[in-house]
Amino acid sequence: MQPMGNDKPANVPGRPVLPSPAAPRPSTPFISSGPVVGLGTSGVPQTAAPFLSSGPITGMQMSNYRSSPPPIRYNGPSSPPPPTSYPGQDATTYQQTQAPRFPPPAQPGTPLRVPPPVGLPVTPPMGSLHPQLQIPSVPMGPPPQTAAQSSSRSYMPPPVSESSFSAPRPPPQPSLHGYSNMLPGGNMPPSPAETQFLAPRSVSQPASQQAFPAFHVPPVHASPYHVHQGGVVPPPLPPLGGPLGYNSRGQMQYPSTGPPMGGNLQGLVEEFQSLSVGSAPGSLDHGVDAKSLPRPLNGDEEPIKIQETYPLNCHPRFFRLTTHAIPSSQSLLARWHLPLGAVVHPLAEVPDGEEVPIVNFGPAGVIRCRRCRTYVNPYVTFMDAGRKWRCNLCSLLNDVPGEYYCALDASGRRCDIDQRPELSKGSVEFVAPTEYMVRPPMPPLYFFLIDVSISAVRCGLFEIVAKTIKSCLDELPGFPRTQIGFLTFDSTLHFHNLKSSLTQPQMLVVADLDDIFLPLPDDLLVNLSDSRHVVDALLDILPSMFQDNANVESALGPALKAAFMVMSQLGGKLLVFQSTLPSLGVGRLRLRGDDLRIYGTDKEHTLRVPEDPFYKQMAAEFTKNQISVDIYAFSEKYTDIASLGSLAKYTGGQVYHLPSFQAATHQEKLRYELARDLTRETAWESVMRIRCGKGVRFSTYHGHFMLRSTDLLALPAVDCDKAFAMQLSLEDTLMTTQIVYFQVALLYTSSSGERRIRVHTAAAPVVADLGEMYHQADTGAIISLLSRLAIENTQSHKLEDARQLMQLKLVKSLKEYRNLYVMQHRLGGRLIFPESLKFLPLYVLSLCKSVALRGGYADAPLDERCAAGYNMMILPIRRMLKLLYPGLYKIDENLIKGPEYSEKSSKQLALSAQSLDPRALYIYDDGFSFIIWLGRMLSPDLVNGILGLDVSGFPDLSKLALLEHDNEYSRKLMRILKRLREKDPSCFQLCRVVRQGEQPREGSLLLSNLIEDQTAGTSSYVDWILQVYRQSQSS
Amino acid sequence: MAWELLLWLYAFASVIALIALTAYQLINLSDLEFDYINPYDSSSRINAVVVPEFMVQGILCTSFLLTWHWFPFLIMAPITYYHVNLFMNRRHLIDVTEIFRLLNGEKKYRIIKLSIYFSIFVIVIYRLVMSAVLLLTDEGFGSLESGIF
Repeated sequence: MQPMGNDKPANVPGRPVLPSPAAPRPSTPFISSGPVVGLGTSGVPQTAAPFLSSGPITGMQMSNYRSSPPPIRYNGPSSPPPPTSYPGQDATTYQQTQAPRFPPPAQPGTPLRVPPPVGLPVTPPMGSLHPQLQIPSVPMGPPPQTAAQSSSRSYMPPPVSESSFSAPRPPPQPSLHGYSNMLPGGNMPPSPAETQFLAPRSVSQPASQQAFPAFHVPPVHASPYHVHQGGVVPPPLPPLGGPLGYNSRGQMQYPSTGPPMGGNLQGLVEEFQSLSVGSAPGSLDHGVDAKSLPRPLNGDEEPIKIQETYPLNCHPRFFRLTTHAIPSSQSLLARWHLPLGAVVHPLAEVPDGEEVPIVNFGPAGVIRCRRCRTYVNPYVTFMDAGRKWRCNLCSLLNDVPGEYYCALDASGRRCDIDQRPELSKGSVEFVAPTEYMVRPPMPPLYFFLIDVSISAVRCGLFEIVAKTIKSCLDELPGFPRTQIGFLTFDSTLHFHNLKSSLTQPQMLVVADLDDIFLPLPDDLLVNLSDSRHVVDALLDILPSMFQDNANVESALGPALKAAFMVMSQLGGKLLVFQSTLPSLGVGRLRLRGDDLRIYGTDKEHTLRVPEDPFYKQMAAEFTKNQISVDIYAFSEKYTDIASLGSLAKYTGGQVYHLPSFQAATHQEKLRYELARDLTRETAWESVMRIRCGKGVRFSTYHGHFMLRSTDLLALPAVDCDKAFAMQLSLEDTLMTTQIVYFQVALLYTSSSGERRIRVHTAAAPVVADLGEMYHQADTGAIISLLSRLAIENTQSHKLEDARQLMQLKLVKSLKEYRNLYVMQHRLGGRLIFPESLKFLPLYVLSLCKSVALRGGYADAPLDERCAAGYNMMILPIRRMLKLLYPGLYKIDENLIKGPEYSEKSSKQLALSAQSLDPRALYIYDDGFSFIIWLGRMLSPDLVNGILGLDVSGFPDLSKLALLEHDNEYSRKLMRILKRLREKDPSCFQLCRVVRQGEQPREGSLLLSNLIEDQTAGTSSYVDWILQVYRQSQSS
Repeated sequence: MAWELLLWLYAFASVIALIALTAYQLINLSDLEFDYINPYDSSSRINAVVVPEFMVQGILCTSFLLTWHWFPFLIMAPITYYHVNLFMNRRHLIDVTEIFRLLNGEKKYRIIKLSIYFSIFVIVIYRLVMSAVLLLTDEGFGSLESGIF
């Protein structure tokens, strides 16, 4: 009792109950523990106390508090000796963090009586529960003690949110029963049947939970206590909970508490409300039920709730932190084993109506902080009657220029704030005056470097490229300033004179590859609107010009140098169409990657880095001159994408890899992607810098760019399809500020020739508690950053090492989380993870199985591996998650049934072969390609209709291009594909058809991508979870 | 004896050159770190002196070997080996595209090298003075000559 008194007062002052976002979160994990306590007798407070105290970490304390909610459920009838229990809890550890939560000491007494929170009917099942609980304990050994402990706990935390919790709890109890019965020994794993049982429960629970406004419950409601005792709410369903199964361990007793389940449910339910509730722990059984595992079937969910807490922040589509809570100290950061950083997507496409507002300051110039150069943003504060403003990053007091002056209202806000988007929106675009130009804004410039050696001729490339370019000429951005040029090469370089006074283009051949010179001083690069007719003529004759070319050599290196000479004055975009291995002149590459023996050795990574330093040097030169390189690679043979791709990597470009290009099947993809590349809005000669407040610093950057100084990213061209990731480090051992601000500034030249600065501002709280960091974690950003780190890792280490490193990070973070909440309770048989990271294990598994990182030599051709790696380095979060957990849809019903049905999009399925029904038809969509899987027992009518040919003849489906045929099935299918493609316009999903049992295509196209299944050398989702669980448990 | 003095004079000049070259590289790297210089200039300046440094170092090392000065040779040998290794793997030049990522490592590497050069410098001065004194006195001060240095 005494401890209680002392603690409480202390706690109360410590924190404000409601306001701090941090406070609410972590409780869930604990919840599980909480219940345990509750079951037992309230009587033994003393024992309980030691328990609690054991948790040394503040974070843990927090969690405990949270856990308190679970106790609520129990409460019902039995009047507990709340006071006693209280003291136990308060004891020492908890005080600091949670203190605010605690109701005054008096509360406990009264609340008990109070009926449980809103919706839940408190039933008197308690009695029954108790017996059961005890039973399990018996096997353990010292049952009585445990019970006592549990009881004490339950009392401890009657926090604010309790009411909400109460609901979830009941379910857990039932589960307990089941368990206890099941496990006599405690050690036995639960039978699969049981686990399944559990799973359903969890699902149902959420609904009940939702009913409660968990957060709103005032702390006053001592109700938790009541709950505690009382009763267990009869769970309508078998409550077990969460996506995770129950555990079978000896610890059964603990699990019986059920709270964990509740936590899970809550997590699922709350989504948005969960701020205060925090993370939900899940529990996993050894006999995990695959169906109950968490799956991101709804795709990426942007952390919108951050926008609600920080309405002045930019939209998360532009800027996402891996956790929206910055650790306050180095020691706390050291315990956060996942990467801490951000993913920035500065030019993300925005839906109509949400365009980034453009601000022109006119003569006043762009308002920036004198010292740290921060742009004016919604978080700056105006003072001194509006004559000064304080920078939110460095706290310097700046003068407000006369033109920008505006009086402040009574609350200190500027009166014109509503008219000034830069003061009310997190994302704005400033028009930059001439001080921001080192030269006149460049015109959009496109230069095409086309390999015309025999392999390119064979695959019918020119026709498509020429036609596509021609069709895009009218839509190239920046009319009438746009410049264009062409250079073709095989063993010689062919320059094309496009002078506007000519009627036909002139071809000038340079055969000296060692000493490149330009045959003409200008006219190799011309203004498109002036020379339009010549360009048209060139594109018309280009396909026929090299039709009979039998030259097998390809002098890419000299061609790059020549292109560099042509473009170096202006910069622009260089599109390289390469269909064979560069074989002549500087930068020639040799076949490598065929050597099996190198795999698994320390030299393995050398295959994935550029072989010849020429390409890196060239890339550096390109960037210096504002040239961005896009690589289109077509060869079915090895073309050393690792080397070629480095051109794109350091110039802000992109690698398009279309292996085994065949005009018939790939033309649509090439046409679409080339057209998008040419016509999408592009930011030219840009630089990007991310500023952040005192105490933190961005230390490393990952993506396609080149660093021009420690924190300045040079991006010769950047567009809406490229995102960048970066890692944060703390500069001081202790952060002194409460909030850290970030400001992304992208200075660029728009296609219209205007210099602009796009500014995104965001704020994130500084927290002293690890649980809060977990609660605010953003799986999408973490995975995005993690994948980039892993891919960079493969360039200096073995694939295996890169995968293990990721797994290690995952395991460490889960272990840390576990330590936060579980250690004291010896909650053995469960995998506990925060609600915010529930998909993380799955994504990491998927990352390990991704083309860039999977297996070894035989599992993916080297070029495809490297191309996938380059692609993943630029993917925005949403597309990255889509790639890692592709959609699988069953659509045969949509095809067969009426039109109204076909418009409905079908449900996304788990990525497992078990989802595949031989009587059905599925679409697999990973954002880059579609695979249509035809079940073996699918009606032949349907198949013939879709394919437009008779399947009984076993046609070669790999050569088949899916076209629209004149029948209802085909039209409907095309409509569905079209709708899916519209969801992701940044890439054309090439559609391939595969039939069940058609090996090896089925295996390579689909089966190996069903990431939840076990394939050679990799584990299935269930095994993976168990593996992670085991590792996170071993210390 | 005059040859001995010449050798040490040569060694003295070489070590000074090595120290100067390494310091120059370090200065360039720290300039880069503080954004006084862009990565292109920085890396091209550094790369321009890397090979000369390797050559000076290598020649000095061989000259110690050829004149049977075991102790200085053994001190120099690991550096020589390391240099040869870098050169053979074509990793001796700074990669301008990755320079910021490698900045800390490169600085550390050069600081370590600089400190080794300084210790060699001390030895060389000692031997230089020693041989000069011996030559000037022209006496049998052989007993002064320590066997180690």
